[in-house]
Amino acid sequence: MIDRRTFGRGVAAVLGGAALTALSLSPALTKPAEAQGTLRLGMTLADIPVSFGQPDQGFEGFRFMGLMLYDALINWDMTADDKPSALIPGLAESWSVNKDDPTKWTFNLRKGVKFHDGSTFNADAVIFNFDKLLDKDSPQFSARQGSLVNFRIPSIKSYKKIDDYTVEFTTHEPSGFVPFQLCYILMASPAQWEKTGKDWNEFGKTPSGTGPWKLAALAPRESVEFVPFKEHWDTSRVPKLDKVIALPIPDPNARTAALLSGQVDWIEAPAPDAIPRIESQGFKMVANVYPHIWSWHLSRVEGSPWNDIRVRKAANLAIDREGIKALLGGYAIPAVGHVTPTDPWFGEPTFKVKFDPEAAKALLKEAGFSTDNPVNIKAMISASGSGQMLPLQMNEYMQQNLADVGIKIDFEVTEWNALIDLWRAGAKSPQANGAHVINVSYTTQDPYSAFTRFMRSDLSAPKGVNWGYYDDPEMDALLRTADGAFDPAERDAILAKVHARAVDDAAFIWVVHDVAPRAMTTKVKGYVQSRNWFQSLTSVYME
Amino acid sequence: MFAYIARRILYVIPIALGVTVIIFGLVHIAPGDPLNAVVPPDAPKETVQILIEAYGFDKPIPVQYAIWLGRALSGDFGISFATGRPVAEAIAGGVVNTLILAAGAILIGMTLGCLIGAIAGYYQGSWIDKLATGFAIAGVSVPHYWLGLVLVIIFSVEMNVLPAMGMGPGGAKDWAWDQAHMRHLILPVITLSVIPIGIITRSVRATVAEILTMEFVQTLEAKGLKSFRIFLHVCANAAPTVLAVSGLQIGYLLGGSILVETVFSWPGTGFLLNDAIFRRDIPLLQGVILVLAMFFVVMNLLVDILQSLIDPRMARS
Amino acid sequence: MADTTPVAAGLAEAAIDDTQVAAKSRSYWTTVWQSLLRDPVTLVFAGILITILMSTIFADVLAPADPFKTNMVKRLKPIGTPGFLLGADELGRDMLSRLLHGGRLSLVMGISPVALALVIGGMLGLTAGFLGGKTNMAIMRTIDVFYAFPSVLLAIAISGALGAGIVNAIISLTIVFIPPIARVTESVTTQIRNLDYVEAARASGANAFTIIRAHVLSNVAGPVFIYSTSLISVSIILASGLSFLGLGTEPPKPEWGLMLNTLRQSIYVSPWVAALPGAMIFLTSLSFNMLSDGLRTAMDIRL
Repeated sequence: MIDRRTFGRGVAAVLGGAALTALSLSPALTKPAEAQGTLRLGMTLADIPVSFGQPDQGFEGFRFMGLMLYDALINWDMTADDKPSALIPGLAESWSVNKDDPTKWTFNLRKGVKFHDGSTFNADAVIFNFDKLLDKDSPQFSARQGSLVNFRIPSIKSYKKIDDYTVEFTTHEPSGFVPFQLCYILMASPAQWEKTGKDWNEFGKTPSGTGPWKLAALAPRESVEFVPFKEHWDTSRVPKLDKVIALPIPDPNARTAALLSGQVDWIEAPAPDAIPRIESQGFKMVANVYPHIWSWHLSRVEGSPWNDIRVRKAANLAIDREGIKALLGGYAIPAVGHVTPTDPWFGEPTFKVKFDPEAAKALLKEAGFSTDNPVNIKAMISASGSGQMLPLQMNEYMQQNLADVGIKIDFEVTEWNALIDLWRAGAKSPQANGAHVINVSYTTQDPYSAFTRFMRSDLSAPKGVNWGYYDDPEMDALLRTADGAFDPAERDAILAKVHARAVDDAAFIWVVHDVAPRAMTTKVKGYVQSRNWFQSLTSVYME
Repeated sequence: MFAYIARRILYVIPIALGVTVIIFGLVHIAPGDPLNAVVPPDAPKETVQILIEAYGFDKPIPVQYAIWLGRALSGDFGISFATGRPVAEAIAGGVVNTLILAAGAILIGMTLGCLIGAIAGYYQGSWIDKLATGFAIAGVSVPHYWLGLVLVIIFSVEMNVLPAMGMGPGGAKDWAWDQAHMRHLILPVITLSVIPIGIITRSVRATVAEILTMEFVQTLEAKGLKSFRIFLHVCANAAPTVLAVSGLQIGYLLGGSILVETVFSWPGTGFLLNDAIFRRDIPLLQGVILVLAMFFVVMNLLVDILQSLIDPRMARS
Repeated sequence: MADTTPVAAGLAEAAIDDTQVAAKSRSYWTTVWQSLLRDPVTLVFAGILITILMSTIFADVLAPADPFKTNMVKRLKPIGTPGFLLGADELGRDMLSRLLHGGRLSLVMGISPVALALVIGGMLGLTAGFLGGKTNMAIMRTIDVFYAFPSVLLAIAISGALGAGIVNAIISLTIVFIPPIARVTESVTTQIRNLDYVEAARASGANAFTIIRAHVLSNVAGPVFIYSTSLISVSIILASGLSFLGLGTEPPKPEWGLMLNTLRQSIYVSPWVAALPGAMIFLTSLSFNMLSDGLRTAMDIRL
């Protein structure tokens, strides 16, 4: 036999190697040093938004790329946290609509504004950027950028330069919503585009706008770094920080872990269940109401049980929104309508959206249903998605609530992009497969996004996202009047009527408003969470 | 011998072509509009049409395949729908990050696998052997995504001594082999190494046990050779198997780390694949699967060739 | 289920047809049974497996609560809470009940792909091995192409393309397991085809079907069946893995992989409840592997 001891020596040699390997991997408990005045931030995105002008990845793309690098003619006021943010002058100092021809808008541009590359902002730059989106024959035309934003400016028919600092826009029909549309069109530097070989992808590597931040570095899928643009035209918006590093961390748990382990100073949307742990470890939570609604859109095609208003009201009364709020760690506002009661568009609806299962049962009984003879509903939901919060858990919770009063829900779960596709296709489409509900969440930041696109009958799918074919002539008339109102106060008054009518009609099932919870270290100071999807980091500093 | 190697290399060509057909076919049977990832919900029809033409989706499928294959051969996997950035760059970054994990896992897998396997094989039939075999079976039976989660629970949630996710300060861009970054390797590498440990242990055990019963070992013993030399002989004879198994495991790890990368938010190829699937990013999806499959094919090829060089009897027709 | 597949049935039939084979196999099975009885480890894991199978089958009777009933007050209660023996999940549903019910889908999604692949892959392998020549080339070269993918990658790629859903997950895993089963069947069949007595039967002009039934199946079925049982463990891990990624089961259906996925968001509140579904996957997969190993030793099969 082989001598066991010698064999053992050979084994020991191998073991030694293993020990060495283990040693080199041994944990070091030191935390990485932090640079002064650098904010490291974990986004919910899976990737860095594109930097070449119009950002992708929805509003978070605007928040952490678009509005960092660029300004629009009209900006959002992001300085207040106690009232909904308003539109304020951006690269346009003022604008007005022509009294004789309300399809014509004159914009007076701000003088002395410089792009990051030092070139001057003027009317030519405005025309250049609109041609980029809308003129297929212009050399700077970008189908990709157009696809990202053109749907936000449906009213714009044409535009022209009047002089170096005046631009005129013409709309298809008179619309008071024009400012809410133009605030999405970001101004990129024509000079920099020339310099980067007239290639938008190249431009994206060294982008130039007029925004308060300059791009310092961008590693796709890993990180993006911004440094202040000290020469920003609005001195109150010159950033205080030396640097912002934003990291895409799509998994909520991973974001939480990154904050707890000190890898980042700030995270967007922590995992709700982790909030007590985050707070107990000395981090602070920041949240504020903002224009968001998580709702169920209802099919109104023939044969849908939702055509009976008693069923719609019953469903709204069956939902335990406080329970859903608890599910979200307390970071949500139970919805009593499409917007919150503090919003100027809330109005005075008579139908009170609340949790009252007995009233719901009574309504259903009247409509001929009960727990033994339930309403059968098929709902399309997503497993995740932007603004969808915790879609699976929330929907399952609602399923239970509704079952208790006599509404039986069957889910069809798809991924977020597929759900968007189904939303666009409409309730009558074969893909919808007879579904009665689609669960989507979105912004209510501007009147078009909040109301018009869902409730005007001519925007029914596939023309628009009136998914359920909501059709109410009086609502159509109200929406058109609102669109035609040029005085903000008058417009808000009409929108309040629109909203009250929608609530009284129980046009949707409203569930909760998100409050955009953010968790950060106590070293982060000076942040004001505006009541907006967009946020400003210019006032933030590290202690 | 060289004829065998040449044949083996040539055989890769039809396989590789078959692989491209499968990948292209798979991605194109996928339900849903391929442009979903790019177009916002209420984008007008005209813009969508422009994009369809820009990406070539209006062309017949075989033509699309030919164009894609032609470009892929020259290393151009197209532009990601979701990000507008070249797919090749994203994949290159992902492969490097995953290789960091896979290399660590294989290192541990080979070391521990050989060690445990050798001991078990040597003491075949004893309680040590039974324990080692049981351990090996547990290693291949464990759902590694769950093991990763359990390690996170123990070391990050409960003890708070090791980071739960990511590649450390600055992410992959600032990766360095220093302590601050290496700490992030520990949990995912241990998680990933469990399967290779199990598999290598099993094959080493079998090989060692078999070699020890062979005549030449008995002869060596009879000649009065020192047992350490016998140990070396055993090692030399077990090497081809260990090499083959380890090589294949690297290929598996590269394609199979998606679940572990998801648990640890590790920005490798698996993470990229997950992202491509859920965002229906077709160019990225095709590119990632193709590169991973090709890597696997090449690893197989290398293992076969190396084996045939070490031991010509292994050259199969 | 794997034990009612035509290949296994064929084995029994062949045994009756051919007295010689029957006599041999009767004593053979007695030996196998006796050696199994002397292997306590395998018996223990067989017992565990039977317990898991039974408790999921009779989940309706055994589960203390409705697996769908949510209760927000009780959400994420730890293991051992009165009324919630194994705690409660993120919607306050009883974990024990969900684990019992969840095993059904996990087992169905884990076992059925192997069973389907055993039928399809087994037939492909038999055909290729028995006919040889060009047919063999065509079948085996096509299978080689699928072999070029690591199994996890192939499963995820197919599921990703087809979209989430139980049926799609089963299809994708079936495609993953056809190539290895076909390859093993082919190689065993080819060996047997070249054995003297089979050659003789062919030369004497016996019907191909009869030869397959009498000689080939009886010798091929055992090894292929044992090989397949070892795949079940992989299949269960992969099936739950697909659900874990969001590519398998859809909520609110209880399934171990999906439960692990949703509970993962709560590891900072209730870490050990979150780990439970994965422990079940591990235990099941381990039991299948140990059983397969024990059977292989008992049946003296080397692959």
